[in-house]
Amino acid sequence: MTSAFLPGLREAIGAPGVAMAATFLAFGAAVQEAGLGPGWALLACWGIYGMPGQLVLVQAAAGGWAGGVGSAVMGAVAVNARFLPMAVSLTPMLSTGDRGRLLPAVPFIAVTPWAAAMRSLPAIERQARLGWFLGFGLTSWVVAGAAALAGFHLAESLGSQARAALLFINPLYYALLLAAGLNEPTPRRAILCGAGAASLALVLPASMALLAAGMVGGTIAFLLGRRHASR
Amino acid sequence: MPPADLALLLTALGGLGLRLAGVWLAGGLSTEHPAIAWATAVAQATLAAFVTLAIVAPAGALADVPLPARLVGLVIGVTVCLTTRQRLLPALIAGLLAMLAVRGLG
Repeated sequence: MTSAFLPGLREAIGAPGVAMAATFLAFGAAVQEAGLGPGWALLACWGIYGMPGQLVLVQAAAGGWAGGVGSAVMGAVAVNARFLPMAVSLTPMLSTGDRGRLLPAVPFIAVTPWAAAMRSLPAIERQARLGWFLGFGLTSWVVAGAAALAGFHLAESLGSQARAALLFINPLYYALLLAAGLNEPTPRRAILCGAGAASLALVLPASMALLAAGMVGGTIAFLLGRRHASR
Repeated sequence: MPPADLALLLTALGGLGLRLAGVWLAGGLSTEHPAIAWATAVAQATLAAFVTLAIVAPAGALADVPLPARLVGLVIGVTVCLTTRQRLLPALIAGLLAMLAVRGLG
């Protein structure tokens, strides 16, 4: 396992590390502005480890929890509901039979490690995959926490323009990961259907729109793929 | 417990529950199983929707960046990625610089 841990660690330090650091730096600054503490910022990164959900809570805190803690939590969990299909799709890639061995990897199942794993794991020997994922996930986790703390303490020196630039890096990085899948029909279908289904955000509340777009777009892509395969 | 800490604890538990449920649901299934193919499609579509919304209709500070700047940054980044055998870091830097350049022109 250790032999693949280091390659995973190295992979996480490149473009994924830059994207994570930029996003969590901006998050740390937002936490400071909302009047929360650095410990909360760190625990939110490591405990939730899903940026959209983290931002839902920060926005609720900035508004004085006017809508209540319950609705903020429901919104945060709903917007992070992609953890479920990501865990479902990742498990057979990592598994060597004993699911209990996957437990240390569970907290690291999030967009960046998932996307990097789906891209890199097929080329890695099955027995070494869990080590690779732990190396990647743990490194990303540490980078995220450190960047959030830095962002918290640098908040006053980060103007809105700099923060906007930092926030742009995250969707750009995910777009690059998705672009790598455009050459193959199965991911291409899912990407195009998901992008099209994003228009559901026009008619649904923000907390539900992402989940609905993923479900609708992904299901349509899956059904199109089944029809294509049966021809 | 302060509301911020309670919200953090409950959200973290909710996320952990979703992850554990995914691992449990997928137990014993192969990568070719239709349920796995469906879940993978949903996850990829969710990510694509997230990118689309973040570029076309972002919330927060990113909304201060004009749409043309966001789109040019995206197009340049993806183009560099696809023309450099998917090297992510140069593509990331190129896309960011393109976005900043177009924003500076505005």
